[in-house]
Amino acid sequence: MRLKHMAIIIGVAYGIMALLPLLVGDIRFLMNILIMCLIWAVVASCWDVMMGFAGIFSFGQVAFFVMGAYCSGILAIEHHVTPVLSILIAGLFTAGMGVLVGLPCLRLAGPYVALVTFGVHMALQPTLRGEIGIALGSGGSVGLLTIPPINIFGYSFSSANIVPTFYLTLLVSLACALVIMFVIKSYWGVAFLALKDSQDFAMSLGISAFKYKLMVFALTSFLTGIIGAYYGHFYGVLSFRMLDLDLFSILMVMMLVGGLGHYPGSIIGAFLVVAGSELMAPLGAYRAVTMGALVVILVLALPNGVMGFFLKRASDRAPSG
Amino acid sequence: MFSEDTILLLYEITDVLIAGLSTGSVYALMAVGMTLVYGVTKAFNFAYGDFFNMGGYFAWILMFGIGFQFGGYVTVLIVVMPLMFLVGYALEKLMVAPLRKRADWENKVMMLTLGLALFLTSLYTVVFGVRMKSLPPILEGTLEVGQLVFSYQDILIFVMSIGGIMVFGWMLNNTRIGMAVKAVAQNPIGAKIVGIPKERIFASTFAISTVMVGFGGILLSQKWFINPMSGGTIMVKAWVVTAFGGMGSIRGGLYAAFIIGLLEAFVGWLFGMSYSIIALFILLLATLVIRPQGLMGKGD
Repeated sequence: MRLKHMAIIIGVAYGIMALLPLLVGDIRFLMNILIMCLIWAVVASCWDVMMGFAGIFSFGQVAFFVMGAYCSGILAIEHHVTPVLSILIAGLFTAGMGVLVGLPCLRLAGPYVALVTFGVHMALQPTLRGEIGIALGSGGSVGLLTIPPINIFGYSFSSANIVPTFYLTLLVSLACALVIMFVIKSYWGVAFLALKDSQDFAMSLGISAFKYKLMVFALTSFLTGIIGAYYGHFYGVLSFRMLDLDLFSILMVMMLVGGLGHYPGSIIGAFLVVAGSELMAPLGAYRAVTMGALVVILVLALPNGVMGFFLKRASDRAPSG
Repeated sequence: MFSEDTILLLYEITDVLIAGLSTGSVYALMAVGMTLVYGVTKAFNFAYGDFFNMGGYFAWILMFGIGFQFGGYVTVLIVVMPLMFLVGYALEKLMVAPLRKRADWENKVMMLTLGLALFLTSLYTVVFGVRMKSLPPILEGTLEVGQLVFSYQDILIFVMSIGGIMVFGWMLNNTRIGMAVKAVAQNPIGAKIVGIPKERIFASTFAISTVMVGFGGILLSQKWFINPMSGGTIMVKAWVVTAFGGMGSIRGGLYAAFIIGLLEAFVGWLFGMSYSIIALFILLLATLVIRPQGLMGKGD
């Protein structure tokens, strides 16, 4: 997809989002959902860059999100760091963790990478809940309960004044989306794709697999960490329960609905799936069952997601373009 | 001589050792199934741990859901094993086989089976509740040798899982289907040329691994309870054993399973159960850094 098309799709999606508070600005429940849409859009996009563009089969995205959230929360509560600064520190910390996880993955093939990253996910929960986590200030099995909201020049962005908070989220989310867009369209993005398609050939052309794969890990975990930290400050409470498989499967559905490797798709996927999952709330416990089944069905029936579907329609109509 | 405390400690260590060995033997069973399915079909099954629970739940349904207790575990095995085979065969045919034609299908299979794992985990929670289910011990009573006490359950779990692996190894080397599986693993195209139905072998291999992990589930659920959420952890354990032992090496998997069973038992005893997954993860990372091909793997 060309840069222009990507920019148009992102612009339209975020434009519609920006207009929605005019209609539902005084319904707090709906505003919360909209904010969640914006937050998950970033996480799903990062995961898409990792899996769809760089072809690294990482299942650690939720873990990085939780790491960022906890890091910033602990800094703000225990060490009284201003939330904006703590979010940046959390981003850098998560980027560092991303590189650490990425290092052993460089030498490994597909399922091993999936397993190491999934292992990070599985090991994070006992770490946060156990004595190590308590020593760091994770609050053990209670979690973090009193994370201060973001405060810029004395103005506090909490759920009390939700409309300004929504626009701040929109800005953060849009900034992340644009960063991802430019990275994908830059030399880096081409290098990611080349490495995914044929690592040997790409390396023979002088693209360093080491450098670019670590870069993918650093970049995606940085953005995920930042948005995770933002989520923590917005929500005010954090629990290791986020590492349960519910969130994991919903994120996966977002990415699959949008289409793996069809970048702005995952943003649209996130918007659709967050809204859809709220509509499915009456299903109760069956919602998680449905999400799992959706992953299976989407992989089988809609391999390129909504985006791929429309792109195919478009190219069918104009075979020359 | 030893003081009273030292002797008590020694007994405790022996207990942990026995627990580790009996768990390890089931891990060996699971690792062999995993090495088989990945080695032959190149399909990585993220729902492996949920099939472990499926075996346990099938046994529970039969014994308590329906209440059919005639014949005890013999009946359970006779009924559940073919059922697991059918489930595995059908899943391979319906879900994995259609993906084989696609580009980068191995990744697609991982996503699909992860979705399946999420589906099964939440399905178990909805259907059977969050509370764990328990199965009665396969044999009650203990064997006392001097001062040492072995429970028959541990011994039988050990014997049955090692027996299962030996039966499997014999089948692989001496039966027609086993040799066909080996042929497909070595050279899929060559196997096809000599008329081995590749698709059917893939599905059967997947089904056999499902049976093995389900068997492991029935054995170990008597000791551990059946926890609907535990699928992911069990899958990671089976895979760590496989990676540590070396992909495609049954003997390596066997050694690795016992080492990991013991490691887990001792870490659990010394630091608490929640640390065992962290210990396993560290072991996995160390293996991958120092010896990526595993203990007995051939390497590339």
